[in-house]
Amino acid sequence: MENARMKFYCDESRCIECDGCTIACAEAHELPVGIARRKVITIHEGIPGKEVSTSVACMHCTDAPCEQVCPVDCFYIREDGVVLHDKNKCIGCGYCLYACPFGAPQFPREGIFGSKGAMDKCTMCAGGPLTTNSHHEFELYGQNRIAEGKVPVCAAMCSTKALLVGDAESVSNVIRARVTARGGKGVNSSYGWDKAYKNQ
Amino acid sequence: MRKYIYALIALLSLATVALATDSQIWGEMRIQNILGYGQEESLKLGVWFTFLQSKYFAWVFLGVLIGVPTVFFLHYKIVGQKVFPHSHKKHYAFNLFHRTIHQVAAVSFMVIIPTGFIIVFGDFFGGGTLVRAAKNLHGIFTIPFAIVIIPMALMWIKEAIFNLEDIKWFMILGGYLSKEKQIINATQFNAGQKMWYWVCVLGGLVMILSGAMMFFMDFKIEMLHNLTGLSHIDMLRASAIIHNVMGFILVAVFFTHIYMAAVAIKGAIHSIITGYVEEEEVKFLHNAWYKKLKEKGKF
Ligand code: HEM
Ligand code: SF4
Ligand code: SF4
Repeated sequence: MENARMKFYCDESRCIECDGCTIACAEAHELPVGIARRKVITIHEGIPGKEVSTSVACMHCTDAPCEQVCPVDCFYIREDGVVLHDKNKCIGCGYCLYACPFGAPQFPREGIFGSKGAMDKCTMCAGGPLTTNSHHEFELYGQNRIAEGKVPVCAAMCSTKALLVGDAESVSNVIRARVTARGGKGVNSSYGWDKAYKNQ
Repeated sequence: MRKYIYALIALLSLATVALATDSQIWGEMRIQNILGYGQEESLKLGVWFTFLQSKYFAWVFLGVLIGVPTVFFLHYKIVGQKVFPHSHKKHYAFNLFHRTIHQVAAVSFMVIIPTGFIIVFGDFFGGGTLVRAAKNLHGIFTIPFAIVIIPMALMWIKEAIFNLEDIKWFMILGGYLSKEKQIINATQFNAGQKMWYWVCVLGGLVMILSGAMMFFMDFKIEMLHNLTGLSHIDMLRASAIIHNVMGFILVAVFFTHIYMAAVAIKGAIHSIITGYVEEEEVKFLHNAWYKKLKEKGKF
Protein backbone atom coordinates (compact mmCIF):
# COMPACT_ATOMS: atom_id res chain seq x y z
CA MET A 1 0.00 0.00 0.00
CA GLU A 2 1.22 3.47 -0.81
CA ASN A 3 1.95 5.74 2.06
CA ALA A 4 -0.74 8.16 3.11
CA ARG A 5 0.06 11.77 2.20
CA MET A 6 -0.92 14.14 5.01
CA LYS A 7 -2.44 17.48 3.98
CA PHE A 8 -4.11 20.51 5.48
CA TYR A 9 -7.24 21.96 3.96
CA CYS A 10 -9.19 25.00 5.07
CA ASP A 11 -12.76 25.17 3.81
CA GLU A 12 -13.25 28.89 3.26
CA SER A 13 -17.01 28.62 3.14
CA ARG A 14 -16.90 27.48 6.77
CA CYS A 15 -14.09 29.49 8.35
CA ILE A 16 -15.62 32.15 10.61
CA GLU A 17 -12.34 33.84 11.56
CA CYS A 18 -12.66 32.86 15.22
CA ASP A 19 -8.88 32.42 15.64
CA GLY A 20 -9.49 29.27 17.70
CA CYS A 21 -6.85 27.35 15.75
CA THR A 22 -4.17 29.97 16.44
CA ILE A 23 -4.87 29.95 20.16
CA ALA A 24 -5.18 26.17 20.38
CA CYS A 25 -1.82 25.79 18.66
CA ALA A 26 -0.05 28.39 20.78
CA GLU A 27 -1.41 26.87 24.00
CA ALA A 28 -0.82 23.23 23.11
CA HIS A 29 2.80 23.81 22.15
CA GLU A 30 3.46 26.54 24.74
CA LEU A 31 4.77 28.86 22.05
CA PRO A 32 6.58 32.03 23.12
CA VAL A 33 4.77 35.34 22.67
CA GLY A 34 5.28 36.65 19.17
CA ILE A 35 5.31 33.24 17.52
CA ALA A 36 2.12 32.11 15.78
CA ARG A 37 2.56 28.89 13.88
CA ARG A 38 -0.98 29.19 12.58
CA LYS A 39 -2.77 32.38 11.69
CA VAL A 40 -6.18 33.28 10.36
CA ILE A 41 -6.08 35.76 7.51
CA THR A 42 -8.80 37.47 5.54
CA ILE A 43 -8.26 37.72 1.82
CA HIS A 44 -9.81 40.38 -0.42
CA GLU A 45 -11.13 42.13 2.66
CA GLY A 46 -14.03 44.46 1.91
CA ILE A 47 -14.67 43.16 -1.61
CA PRO A 48 -18.22 41.77 -1.61
CA GLY A 49 -18.42 38.20 -2.78
CA LYS A 50 -14.66 37.76 -2.74
CA GLU A 51 -13.84 38.26 0.93
CA VAL A 52 -12.89 34.99 2.59
CA SER A 53 -11.09 34.02 5.74
CA THR A 54 -8.75 31.11 5.87
CA SER A 55 -6.31 29.60 8.31
CA VAL A 56 -2.68 29.35 7.24
CA ALA A 57 0.35 27.62 8.66
CA CYS A 58 3.08 25.57 7.09
CA MET A 59 1.30 23.54 4.41
CA HIS A 60 3.91 20.76 4.36
CA CYS A 61 4.43 21.29 0.65
CA THR A 62 5.27 18.74 -1.98
CA ASP A 63 8.92 19.38 -3.02
CA ALA A 64 9.06 21.83 -0.12
CA PRO A 65 10.89 25.02 -1.20
CA CYS A 66 12.20 25.56 2.34
CA GLU A 67 13.94 22.18 2.23
CA GLN A 68 15.55 23.07 -1.10
CA VAL A 69 17.17 26.30 0.04
CA CYS A 70 18.37 25.45 3.56
CA PRO A 71 22.17 25.92 3.61
CA VAL A 72 22.63 23.44 6.45
CA ASP A 73 20.14 20.91 5.08
CA CYS A 74 18.31 20.58 8.36
CA PHE A 75 14.91 19.63 6.93
CA TYR A 76 13.64 16.09 6.66
CA ILE A 77 10.43 15.00 5.06
CA ARG A 78 8.55 12.11 6.60
CA GLU A 79 7.12 9.39 4.44
CA ASP A 80 3.66 10.80 5.04
CA GLY A 81 4.80 14.16 3.63
CA VAL A 82 5.13 16.06 6.91
CA VAL A 83 7.97 18.59 6.58
CA LEU A 84 10.05 18.79 9.75
CA HIS A 85 13.40 20.32 10.66
CA ASP A 86 16.20 19.93 13.18
CA LYS A 87 16.46 23.02 15.37
CA ASN A 88 19.86 22.01 16.69
CA LYS A 89 21.22 22.16 13.15
CA CYS A 90 19.33 25.27 12.01
CA ILE A 91 21.37 28.49 12.10
CA GLY A 92 18.45 30.88 11.74
CA CYS A 93 19.52 32.35 8.42
CA GLY A 94 16.01 33.07 7.20
CA TYR A 95 16.38 31.47 3.77
CA CYS A 96 13.43 29.12 4.31
CA LEU A 97 11.19 32.14 4.93
CA TYR A 98 12.28 33.73 1.66
CA ALA A 99 11.47 30.52 -0.20
CA CYS A 100 8.14 29.78 1.51
CA PRO A 101 4.92 30.66 -0.38
CA PHE A 102 3.03 30.94 2.93
CA GLY A 103 5.33 33.01 5.14
CA ALA A 104 5.37 30.13 7.60
CA PRO A 105 8.91 30.10 9.09
CA GLN A 106 9.39 32.44 12.06
CA PHE A 107 12.39 33.45 14.11
CA PRO A 108 12.52 34.15 17.84
CA ARG A 109 15.32 36.58 18.71
CA GLU A 110 17.98 35.25 21.05
CA GLY A 111 21.27 36.10 22.72
CA ILE A 112 22.74 39.49 23.54
CA PHE A 113 23.00 40.53 19.90
CA GLY A 114 19.36 39.73 19.26
CA SER A 115 20.25 37.63 16.26
CA LYS A 116 17.71 35.34 14.70
CA GLY A 117 17.36 32.08 16.61
CA ALA A 118 16.41 28.65 15.28
CA MET A 119 13.45 28.72 12.93
CA ASP A 120 10.03 27.72 14.25
CA LYS A 121 7.06 26.53 12.25
CA CYS A 122 4.09 24.18 12.33
CA THR A 123 5.08 20.52 12.70
CA MET A 124 1.61 19.16 11.99
CA CYS A 125 1.86 18.22 15.66
CA ALA A 126 4.50 15.65 14.78
CA GLY A 127 7.35 16.93 16.99
CA GLY A 128 10.92 16.79 15.78
CA PRO A 129 13.96 14.57 15.43
CA LEU A 130 14.53 14.13 19.19
CA THR A 131 13.24 11.12 21.15
CA THR A 132 9.50 10.95 20.59
CA ASN A 133 7.47 12.53 23.39
CA SER A 134 10.60 13.39 25.36
CA HIS A 135 10.83 16.57 27.39
CA HIS A 136 13.46 17.91 24.97
CA GLU A 137 11.24 17.31 21.99
CA PHE A 138 8.39 19.18 23.66
CA GLU A 139 10.63 22.13 24.58
CA LEU A 140 11.84 22.61 21.03
CA TYR A 141 8.97 21.46 18.85
CA GLY A 142 5.86 21.18 21.04
CA GLN A 143 3.53 18.22 21.37
CA ASN A 144 3.91 15.13 19.26
CA ARG A 145 0.23 14.30 18.95
CA ILE A 146 0.65 12.26 15.78
CA ALA A 147 2.83 9.79 17.66
CA GLU A 148 0.04 9.45 20.24
CA GLY A 149 -2.51 8.81 17.50
CA LYS A 150 -4.23 12.17 18.02
CA VAL A 151 -5.35 14.66 15.40
CA PRO A 152 -3.30 17.89 15.14
CA VAL A 153 -4.70 20.28 17.70
CA CYS A 154 -5.79 23.10 15.35
CA ALA A 155 -8.08 20.89 13.29
CA ALA A 156 -9.29 19.03 16.36
CA MET A 157 -10.34 22.33 17.97
CA CYS A 158 -11.85 23.96 14.88
CA SER A 159 -15.45 24.68 15.85
CA THR A 160 -16.88 24.70 12.33
CA LYS A 161 -14.57 21.96 11.10
CA ALA A 162 -13.40 24.29 8.36
CA LEU A 163 -9.84 23.22 9.01
CA LEU A 164 -9.21 19.66 7.99
CA VAL A 165 -6.11 17.55 8.25
CA GLY A 166 -5.46 13.99 7.30
CA ASP A 167 -4.36 11.79 4.49
CA ALA A 168 -5.10 13.29 1.08
CA GLU A 169 -7.84 10.87 0.21
CA SER A 170 -9.89 11.27 3.38
CA VAL A 171 -9.63 15.06 3.12
CA SER A 172 -10.78 14.95 -0.51
CA ASN A 173 -13.69 12.73 0.40
CA VAL A 174 -14.89 15.10 3.10
CA ILE A 175 -14.65 18.07 0.74
CA ARG A 176 -16.44 16.25 -2.04
CA ALA A 177 -19.28 15.25 0.23
CA ARG A 178 -19.58 18.84 1.48
CA VAL A 179 -19.60 20.32 -2.00
CA THR A 180 -22.28 17.87 -3.10
CA ALA A 181 -24.37 18.75 -0.05
CA ARG A 182 -23.99 22.46 -0.90
CA GLY A 183 -25.28 21.79 -4.40
CA GLY A 184 -21.89 22.31 -6.06
CA LYS A 185 -21.20 25.67 -4.46
CA GLY A 186 -17.83 26.57 -3.00
CA VAL A 187 -15.84 24.16 -5.14
CA ASN A 188 -12.91 26.55 -5.30
CA SER A 189 -10.10 24.82 -3.59
CA SER A 190 -8.57 26.22 -0.46
CA TYR A 191 -6.09 29.08 -0.87
CA GLY A 192 -2.64 27.86 -1.69
CA TRP A 193 -3.70 24.24 -2.03
CA ASP A 194 -2.49 24.18 -5.65
CA LYS A 195 0.77 25.91 -4.71
CA ALA A 196 1.49 23.60 -1.81
CA TYR A 197 0.53 20.29 -3.36
CA LYS A 198 0.95 20.99 -7.08
CA ASN A 199 -2.57 19.74 -7.74
CA GLN A 200 -1.63 16.22 -6.87
CA MET B 1 28.35 62.00 -1.48
CA ARG B 2 24.57 61.89 -1.72
CA LYS B 3 24.77 58.12 -1.99
CA TYR B 4 26.78 57.81 1.20
CA ILE B 5 24.37 59.98 3.08
CA TYR B 6 21.40 57.90 1.93
CA ALA B 7 23.21 54.71 2.80
CA LEU B 8 24.10 56.02 6.22
CA ILE B 9 20.55 57.16 6.89
CA ALA B 10 19.24 53.78 5.78
CA LEU B 11 21.70 52.02 8.06
CA LEU B 12 20.89 54.16 11.07
CA SER B 13 17.18 53.82 10.54
CA LEU B 14 17.57 50.08 10.22
CA ALA B 15 19.13 50.05 13.64
CA THR B 16 16.50 52.22 15.27
CA VAL B 17 13.36 50.70 13.81
CA ALA B 18 14.48 47.12 14.14
CA LEU B 19 11.94 46.58 16.87
CA ALA B 20 8.92 48.04 15.13
CA THR B 21 5.73 46.96 16.81
CA ASP B 22 3.82 45.79 13.75
CA SER B 23 5.34 42.83 12.01
CA GLN B 24 6.07 43.51 8.36
CA ILE B 25 6.19 39.80 7.60
CA TRP B 26 3.81 37.80 9.75
CA GLY B 27 1.06 40.36 10.32
CA GLU B 28 -1.23 41.84 7.68
CA MET B 29 1.69 41.77 5.23
CA ARG B 30 1.55 38.01 5.20
CA ILE B 31 -1.55 38.20 3.02
CA GLN B 32 0.38 40.19 0.40
CA ASN B 33 3.11 37.61 0.47
CA ILE B 34 0.78 34.64 0.06
CA LEU B 35 -1.29 36.25 -2.69
CA GLY B 36 1.71 37.64 -4.53
CA TYR B 37 3.92 34.54 -4.49
CA GLY B 38 4.79 33.48 -8.02
CA GLN B 39 1.98 35.56 -9.58
CA GLU B 40 2.43 36.64 -13.18
CA GLU B 41 2.44 40.34 -12.37
CA SER B 42 5.02 39.99 -9.59
CA LEU B 43 8.79 39.72 -9.93
CA LYS B 44 8.53 36.13 -8.70
CA LEU B 45 11.39 36.77 -6.31
CA GLY B 46 10.36 33.90 -4.03
CA VAL B 47 10.44 31.46 -6.91
CA TRP B 48 13.69 32.92 -8.24
CA PHE B 49 15.39 32.82 -4.87
CA THR B 50 14.36 29.20 -4.38
CA PHE B 51 15.65 28.26 -7.83
CA LEU B 52 18.98 30.10 -7.57
CA GLN B 53 19.74 29.12 -3.99
CA SER B 54 18.84 25.47 -4.44
CA LYS B 55 20.64 25.02 -7.77
CA TYR B 56 23.40 27.56 -8.27
CA PHE B 57 24.69 29.74 -5.45
CA ALA B 58 26.75 27.15 -3.60
CA TRP B 59 28.22 25.81 -6.87
CA VAL B 60 29.22 29.25 -8.09
CA PHE B 61 30.88 29.93 -4.73
CA LEU B 62 32.71 26.62 -4.99
CA GLY B 63 33.79 27.56 -8.51
CA VAL B 64 35.14 30.91 -7.33
CA LEU B 65 36.81 29.32 -4.29
CA ILE B 66 38.67 26.80 -6.44
CA GLY B 67 38.87 28.57 -9.81
CA VAL B 68 40.38 31.90 -8.82
CA PRO B 69 43.25 30.45 -6.72
CA THR B 70 43.90 27.90 -9.51
CA VAL B 71 44.39 30.68 -12.03
CA PHE B 72 46.81 32.41 -9.68
CA PHE B 73 48.67 29.22 -8.94
CA LEU B 74 49.23 28.77 -12.68
CA HIS B 75 50.30 32.40 -12.96
CA TYR B 76 52.77 31.86 -10.14
CA LYS B 77 54.18 28.76 -11.81
CA ILE B 78 54.33 30.15 -15.34
CA VAL B 79 54.95 33.87 -14.96
CA GLY B 80 56.14 33.96 -11.40
CA GLN B 81 56.73 36.73 -8.90
CA LYS B 82 58.02 40.13 -9.83
CA VAL B 83 60.94 40.91 -7.57
CA PHE B 84 62.12 44.45 -7.07
CA PRO B 85 65.13 45.35 -4.95
CA HIS B 86 64.09 46.63 -1.54
CA SER B 87 67.36 48.19 -0.47
CA HIS B 88 66.84 51.43 -2.35
CA LYS B 89 65.09 54.59 -1.35
CA LYS B 90 61.54 54.54 -0.08
CA HIS B 91 58.64 56.94 -0.06
CA TYR B 92 56.25 57.28 2.89
CA ALA B 93 52.91 56.87 1.08
CA PHE B 94 50.50 55.58 3.71
CA ASN B 95 50.26 57.39 7.02
CA LEU B 96 49.04 55.85 10.25
CA PHE B 97 45.44 56.84 9.52
CA HIS B 98 45.50 55.16 6.09
CA ARG B 99 47.03 52.04 7.53
CA THR B 100 44.70 51.81 10.52
CA ILE B 101 41.60 52.18 8.36
CA HIS B 102 42.96 49.63 5.91
CA GLN B 103 43.87 47.13 8.65
CA VAL B 104 40.42 47.30 10.25
CA ALA B 105 38.88 46.56 6.85
CA ALA B 106 41.43 43.80 6.25
CA VAL B 107 40.74 42.05 9.53
CA SER B 108 36.97 42.36 8.98
CA PHE B 109 37.31 40.75 5.56
CA MET B 110 39.46 37.97 6.91
CA VAL B 111 36.59 37.05 9.23
CA ILE B 112 33.63 37.92 6.99
CA ILE B 113 34.75 35.95 3.95
CA PRO B 114 35.69 32.59 5.53
CA THR B 115 32.56 32.69 7.73
CA GLY B 116 30.50 33.53 4.63
CA PHE B 117 31.85 30.39 3.00
CA ILE B 118 31.10 28.33 6.11
CA ILE B 119 27.46 29.47 5.92
CA VAL B 120 27.25 28.80 2.17
CA PHE B 121 28.62 25.28 2.68
CA GLY B 122 26.76 24.87 5.99
CA ASP B 123 25.62 21.34 5.18
CA PHE B 124 29.24 20.26 4.64
CA PHE B 125 30.05 21.58 8.14
CA GLY B 126 27.02 19.80 9.58
CA GLY B 127 25.14 22.93 10.68
CA GLY B 128 24.60 23.58 14.39
CA THR B 129 27.02 25.35 16.74
CA LEU B 130 29.94 25.84 14.36
CA VAL B 131 27.91 27.29 11.50
CA ARG B 132 25.81 29.35 13.92
CA ALA B 133 29.04 30.80 15.38
CA ALA B 134 30.18 31.58 11.84
CA LYS B 135 26.90 33.37 11.19
CA ASN B 136 27.26 35.45 14.34
CA LEU B 137 30.90 36.36 13.60
CA HIS B 138 29.92 37.23 10.04
CA GLY B 139 27.39 39.70 11.40
CA ILE B 140 29.60 41.08 14.20
CA PHE B 141 32.57 41.80 11.93
CA THR B 142 30.27 43.71 9.62
CA ILE B 143 30.27 46.46 12.28
CA PRO B 144 34.01 47.41 12.10
CA PHE B 145 33.85 47.19 8.32
CA ALA B 146 30.81 49.46 8.23
CA ILE B 147 32.65 51.96 10.44
CA VAL B 148 35.75 52.20 8.23
CA ILE B 149 34.18 51.94 4.78
CA ILE B 150 33.25 55.63 4.51
CA PRO B 151 36.64 57.01 5.66
CA MET B 152 38.36 54.47 3.40
CA ALA B 153 36.21 55.54 0.47
CA LEU B 154 36.97 59.22 1.07
CA MET B 155 40.71 58.90 1.70
CA TRP B 156 41.41 57.12 -1.58
CA ILE B 157 38.72 58.42 -3.91
CA LYS B 158 41.05 60.93 -5.62
CA GLU B 159 43.47 58.15 -6.52
CA ALA B 160 40.70 55.82 -7.65
CA ILE B 161 39.11 57.83 -10.42
CA PHE B 162 39.70 56.08 -13.74
CA ASN B 163 41.57 57.90 -16.53
CA LEU B 164 42.46 57.13 -20.15
CA GLU B 165 45.78 55.49 -19.23
CA ASP B 166 43.78 52.80 -17.45
CA ILE B 167 42.46 51.46 -20.75
CA LYS B 168 46.03 50.72 -21.80
CA TRP B 169 46.65 49.05 -18.44
CA PHE B 170 43.68 46.74 -18.98
CA MET B 171 44.81 45.90 -22.55
CA ILE B 172 48.06 44.41 -21.26
CA LEU B 173 46.64 43.51 -17.81
CA GLY B 174 49.26 45.71 -16.21
CA GLY B 175 52.09 43.69 -17.70
CA TYR B 176 51.43 40.85 -15.27
CA LEU B 177 51.27 38.29 -18.07
CA SER B 178 54.92 38.69 -18.93
CA LYS B 179 58.03 37.94 -16.93
CA GLU B 180 59.71 41.11 -18.04
CA LYS B 181 59.66 44.25 -15.99
CA GLN B 182 57.91 46.85 -18.10
CA ILE B 183 57.50 50.49 -17.30
CA ILE B 184 53.81 50.98 -16.61
CA ASN B 185 52.50 54.51 -16.77
CA ALA B 186 50.08 54.28 -13.83
CA THR B 187 49.40 56.79 -11.09
CA GLN B 188 49.48 55.88 -7.39
CA PHE B 189 46.81 53.25 -8.01
CA ASN B 190 46.82 51.29 -11.24
CA ALA B 191 43.61 50.29 -13.01
CA GLY B 192 43.43 46.97 -11.18
CA GLN B 193 43.72 48.64 -7.80
CA LYS B 194 41.10 51.15 -8.82
CA MET B 195 38.78 48.36 -9.79
CA TRP B 196 39.27 46.76 -6.38
CA TYR B 197 38.59 50.12 -4.74
CA TRP B 198 35.20 50.40 -6.44
CA VAL B 199 34.22 46.77 -5.91
CA CYS B 200 35.22 47.01 -2.27
CA VAL B 201 33.54 50.35 -1.57
CA LEU B 202 30.35 50.08 -3.64
CA GLY B 203 30.13 46.30 -3.35
CA GLY B 204 30.90 46.56 0.36
CA LEU B 205 28.06 49.01 0.86
CA VAL B 206 25.72 46.69 -1.02
CA MET B 207 26.86 43.78 1.18
CA ILE B 208 26.39 45.80 4.37
CA LEU B 209 22.92 46.97 3.39
CA SER B 210 21.68 43.62 2.08
CA GLY B 211 23.22 41.87 5.08
CA ALA B 212 21.61 44.33 7.48
CA MET B 213 18.22 43.72 5.87
CA MET B 214 18.58 40.00 6.45
CA PHE B 215 19.87 40.50 9.99
CA PHE B 216 17.08 42.79 11.18
CA MET B 217 14.55 41.03 8.97
CA ASP B 218 11.36 42.39 10.52
CA PHE B 219 11.55 46.19 10.49
CA LYS B 220 9.70 49.03 8.90
CA ILE B 221 11.11 51.76 6.69
CA GLU B 222 8.40 53.28 4.54
CA MET B 223 11.01 55.05 2.39
CA LEU B 224 12.48 51.77 1.18
CA HIS B 225 9.13 50.49 -0.05
CA ASN B 226 8.49 53.71 -1.92
CA LEU B 227 11.98 53.67 -3.38
CA THR B 228 11.90 50.07 -4.59
CA GLY B 229 8.19 49.45 -5.04
CA LEU B 230 8.69 46.06 -3.42
CA SER B 231 6.82 44.45 -0.55
CA HIS B 232 8.87 43.80 2.55
CA ILE B 233 9.31 40.09 2.00
CA ASP B 234 10.36 40.73 -1.61
CA MET B 235 13.00 43.19 -0.41
CA LEU B 236 14.37 40.44 1.83
CA ARG B 237 14.41 38.02 -1.10
CA ALA B 238 16.13 40.60 -3.29
CA SER B 239 18.68 41.17 -0.51
CA ALA B 240 19.46 37.47 -0.30
CA ILE B 241 19.92 37.23 -4.08
CA ILE B 242 22.03 40.41 -4.27
CA HIS B 243 24.16 39.37 -1.26
CA ASN B 244 25.07 36.13 -2.97
CA VAL B 245 25.71 37.56 -6.44
CA MET B 246 27.72 40.52 -5.14
CA GLY B 247 29.50 37.99 -2.91
CA PHE B 248 30.84 36.10 -5.97
CA ILE B 249 32.34 39.29 -7.37
CA LEU B 250 33.69 40.57 -4.07
CA VAL B 251 35.37 37.29 -3.21
CA ALA B 252 36.94 36.92 -6.66
CA VAL B 253 38.39 40.43 -6.62
CA PHE B 254 39.42 40.10 -2.96
CA PHE B 255 41.44 36.97 -3.76
CA THR B 256 43.08 38.90 -6.58
CA HIS B 257 43.95 41.73 -4.21
CA ILE B 258 45.58 39.31 -1.77
CA TYR B 259 47.52 37.53 -4.50
CA MET B 260 48.82 40.77 -5.98
CA ALA B 261 49.90 42.23 -2.67
CA ALA B 262 51.28 39.11 -1.06
CA VAL B 263 52.62 37.05 -3.95
CA ALA B 264 52.69 38.62 -7.42
CA ILE B 265 54.96 41.48 -6.40
CA LYS B 266 57.31 40.21 -3.79
CA GLY B 267 57.04 42.12 -0.54
CA ALA B 268 54.48 44.66 -1.78
CA ILE B 269 52.38 43.92 1.29
CA HIS B 270 54.96 45.66 3.51
CA SER B 271 53.95 49.04 2.12
CA ILE B 272 50.57 48.93 3.84
CA ILE B 273 52.17 47.66 7.07
CA THR B 274 55.06 50.13 7.34
CA GLY B 275 53.66 52.84 5.09
CA TYR B 276 56.76 52.93 2.85
CA VAL B 277 56.68 52.08 -0.86
CA GLU B 278 59.88 51.01 -2.66
CA GLU B 279 61.38 53.29 -5.30
CA GLU B 280 61.94 50.52 -7.84
CA GLU B 281 58.37 49.28 -7.55
CA VAL B 282 56.95 52.74 -8.02
CA LYS B 283 59.29 53.46 -10.93
CA PHE B 284 58.21 50.39 -12.88
CA LEU B 285 54.61 49.86 -11.90
CA HIS B 286 53.40 53.41 -11.20
CA ASN B 287 55.57 55.50 -13.46
CA ALA B 288 53.24 58.51 -13.70
CA TRP B 289 53.21 58.73 -9.91
CA TYR B 290 56.97 58.21 -9.85
CA LYS B 291 57.56 61.21 -12.10
CA LYS B 292 55.35 63.38 -9.95
CA LEU B 293 57.14 62.32 -6.78
CA LYS B 294 60.50 62.96 -8.42
CA GLU B 295 59.40 66.47 -9.37
CA LYS B 296 58.56 67.10 -5.75
CA GLY B 297 61.98 65.88 -4.83
CA LYS B 298 60.88 62.70 -3.09
CA PHE B 299 63.14 59.59 -2.93
C1 HEM C 1 31.84 43.01 2.90
C2 HEM C 1 31.32 41.88 2.81
C3 HEM C 1 30.14 41.35 3.58
C4 HEM C 1 29.37 41.93 4.53
C5 HEM C 1 29.50 43.31 5.12
C6 HEM C 1 28.37 40.95 4.93
C7 HEM C 1 27.40 41.14 5.90
C8 HEM C 1 26.39 40.24 6.20
C9 HEM C 1 25.40 40.39 7.22
C10 HEM C 1 25.29 41.58 8.17
C11 HEM C 1 24.58 39.31 7.17
C12 HEM C 1 23.38 39.02 8.06
C13 HEM C 1 23.79 38.07 9.15
C14 HEM C 1 22.64 37.54 9.93
O1 HEM C 1 21.54 37.41 9.39
O2 HEM C 1 22.85 37.22 11.10
C15 HEM C 1 25.05 38.46 6.12
C16 HEM C 1 24.48 37.26 5.75
C17 HEM C 1 25.05 36.35 4.87
N1 HEM C 1 26.26 36.49 4.22
FE1 HEM C 1 27.39 38.14 4.20
N2 HEM C 1 28.57 39.80 4.21
C18 HEM C 1 29.64 40.02 3.37
C19 HEM C 1 30.21 39.13 2.49
C20 HEM C 1 29.76 37.84 2.29
C21 HEM C 1 30.41 36.88 1.45
C22 HEM C 1 31.67 37.14 0.67
C23 HEM C 1 29.69 35.74 1.53
C24 HEM C 1 29.93 34.41 0.88
C25 HEM C 1 31.06 33.84 0.78
C26 HEM C 1 28.56 35.99 2.40
C27 HEM C 1 27.59 35.07 2.71
C28 HEM C 1 26.49 35.35 3.49
C29 HEM C 1 25.38 34.46 3.65
C30 HEM C 1 25.27 33.07 3.02
C31 HEM C 1 24.46 35.11 4.48
C32 HEM C 1 23.07 34.61 4.85
C33 HEM C 1 23.06 33.80 6.06
C34 HEM C 1 22.89 34.61 7.30
O3 HEM C 1 22.09 35.54 7.33
O4 HEM C 1 23.53 34.25 8.27
N3 HEM C 1 28.64 37.28 2.86
N4 HEM C 1 26.17 39.04 5.55
S1 SF4 D 1 4.62 25.97 3.80
FE1 SF4 D 1 6.64 26.92 3.78
S2 SF4 D 1 7.68 26.05 5.55
FE2 SF4 D 1 5.91 24.71 5.10
S3 SF4 D 1 6.71 23.11 3.75
FE3 SF4 D 1 5.90 24.74 2.43
S4 SF4 D 1 7.72 26.04 2.04
FE4 SF4 D 1 8.22 24.77 3.79
S1 SF4 E 1 16.61 29.36 9.04
FE1 SF4 E 1 17.26 27.30 9.65
S2 SF4 E 1 15.82 25.95 8.65
FE2 SF4 E 1 15.60 27.93 7.64
S3 SF4 E 1 16.97 27.79 5.88
FE3 SF4 E 1 18.16 28.72 7.54
S4 SF4 E 1 19.20 27.03 8.57
FE4 SF4 E 1 17.59 26.13 7.28
